[in-house]
Amino acid sequence: MMGSSPWQGSNSLSSDSNKLKLDRAQFEWARSPNRARAGAQLELPPMPRSSPVARRSPRSSSKSAVRRVLPKEMSDLDRQIEQLKKCEPLKESEVKALCLKAMEILVEESNVQRVDAPVTICGDIHGQFYDMKELFKVGGDCPKTNYLFLGDFVDRGFYSVETFLLLLALKVRYPDRITLIRGNHESRQITQVYGFYDECLRKYGSVNVWRYCTDIFDYLSLSALIENRVFSVHGGLSPAITTLDQIRTIDRKQEVPHDGVMCDLLWSDPEDIVDGWGLSPRGAGFLFGGNVVTSFNHSNNIDYICRAHQLVMEGYKWMFNNQIVTVWSAPNYCYRCGNVAAILELDENLNKQFRVFEAAPHESRGVPSKKPAPDYFL
Amino acid sequence: MEETREAEQAGEKVDENLKVAGGELLPVGRSGLRLRGWVVESRHCPIINSLAREQWEEKLVTSHLPEMVFGDSSLTLSHEKTGVKISFNAFDALSEWKQEGLPPVEVPAAAKWKFRSKPSQQVILDYDYTFTTPYCGSESVDRDPEKVEGSDRNRSLSWEDSSEGIDLVALASKEPILFYDEVVLYEDELADSGVSLLTVKVRVMPHCWFVLLRFWLRVDGVLMRLRDTRFYCSFGSDPNAIPIILRENCWREVTFQDLSAQGFSSDSASYSDPNLIMQRIPVIMKKIQKLRFPD
Repeated sequence: MMGSSPWQGSNSLSSDSNKLKLDRAQFEWARSPNRARAGAQLELPPMPRSSPVARRSPRSSSKSAVRRVLPKEMSDLDRQIEQLKKCEPLKESEVKALCLKAMEILVEESNVQRVDAPVTICGDIHGQFYDMKELFKVGGDCPKTNYLFLGDFVDRGFYSVETFLLLLALKVRYPDRITLIRGNHESRQITQVYGFYDECLRKYGSVNVWRYCTDIFDYLSLSALIENRVFSVHGGLSPAITTLDQIRTIDRKQEVPHDGVMCDLLWSDPEDIVDGWGLSPRGAGFLFGGNVVTSFNHSNNIDYICRAHQLVMEGYKWMFNNQIVTVWSAPNYCYRCGNVAAILELDENLNKQFRVFEAAPHESRGVPSKKPAPDYFL
Repeated sequence: MEETREAEQAGEKVDENLKVAGGELLPVGRSGLRLRGWVVESRHCPIINSLAREQWEEKLVTSHLPEMVFGDSSLTLSHEKTGVKISFNAFDALSEWKQEGLPPVEVPAAAKWKFRSKPSQQVILDYDYTFTTPYCGSESVDRDPEKVEGSDRNRSLSWEDSSEGIDLVALASKEPILFYDEVVLYEDELADSGVSLLTVKVRVMPHCWFVLLRFWLRVDGVLMRLRDTRFYCSFGSDPNAIPIILRENCWREVTFQDLSAQGFSSDSASYSDPNLIMQRIPVIMKKIQKLRFPD
């Protein structure tokens, strides 16, 4: 199924090896975020410097974005959404246009994006497109259901392109009904190692789509706050953060750094055996204990934290006396773990209901057969 | 459709070859075969759940396990006549990880982190998060499978150094493969800093069986480790005779620094398949042993 993209070789950006080498060199800058941007493809609107005072409500900001979408574009979008729902990728030119529109919407969002209830919260997806379709079956279609996705849309699975583009197209079409925040995989460096980069190259014959998408990653919000009561983030807390206002002042439009507050929000994990803060044995990456969560929730007057980032066999897991919950939405992770997945539905009164679901039936997912081919290994 | 038919045809061919070799498949619902006095069986199960993880943590006296532990998956090769059993499972492998207790490997970002202002109370965890294990399989003798006591099982089997090598010529001949499988025992993504993977592969041919147990570790930008254990058993003419089983350990290790000094890429994306880059990783330990049976 993969590799037989209808777009391969059908446009001028396709597999010319010199061109590819050039591309590879051009985005080397991505590895050191401080270097000047060379060869960026999208003309980006300037990112307003966030201020710690309350921003315009997201509703008014997204309305202004919606006004820019013309009826013709709307019907194009609807067609693209239908196409993506069939797991058919968009043309490169369509991806570029979609990313530009998404940018206009995302640039207006706060680092702590306000979200209204009712809302359904989803954890990691990791390119498992057919399993995300199961998720929508269980949770209801967007826009009927209001969604918050906690990042890690790409890498590991076979369909990162289709997965991310569908979510992005829904975002552009229904900006008030779906919120996407950034996970640690929404990064140039990580996607080059864990699948998304190779998938783009294979499906499009060039890295342009990867470049458009990773440019959009820089615009994704870092966290969400549901009705001022539930704080949502991909990874966890940072020792440098005690208040939400401190998150609001981060200049997020950059590659995920290797350290600092933005890195912590996307990478850190709660850990049973530490009381305060712990440092991972890798020498980088914070772990936080129950006390840290208690004081954060108390200072910010929130009920609990909802995060993703770690595989949980049962789909979700509460820790520290129900002060933080991990939600994991990739069933049968990597097509072999056999785990179930979950989404968390909050009604208008913030009552919680976890919906647990399994992977899409094998025959409907278009994944190579499970049985490995005999191999004369030595 | 085409693929299904091809698969069916291939399946029929294997069945025919198996019959000719004098073997049979295990009953429906089990994966494996019975051939020349051996029963080879693989089991594939989901990762263990949170409750089982807690139990394992308690038994292994650790608070950390790989993210994905296929605790009920296994590969077992049993010799029916002698009761000799060679098996591969995650629990034994993790027991040996715990015992080896290597110091943790720092990721490249760690250097920068040393200069970060530290929170006042900070614990530094120092377990081997790479789950590097010296495990090279579990062997036992079930004299009388009905009445086996746990403490009695390993009593009389041992491995002794051998000058014989694994017969690579026999393995390179394209004898039909009657049974093939690969079982993942555990896996960890090292929090997206690389990969740690313990798998075991088996192939059974009309004249021998061959197993490769492989621990593969890549800490992005830091190092790679490959610990391979190969098992080879050539079927004698008498299925009741004591089988000869050879075991070869080969450990390889290299740092990314050494790789780039030799002019090789230090881009982690180039090192996703250990088969393709094995030759670039120098051998640090190698030994060949033979299974010694009790008198």
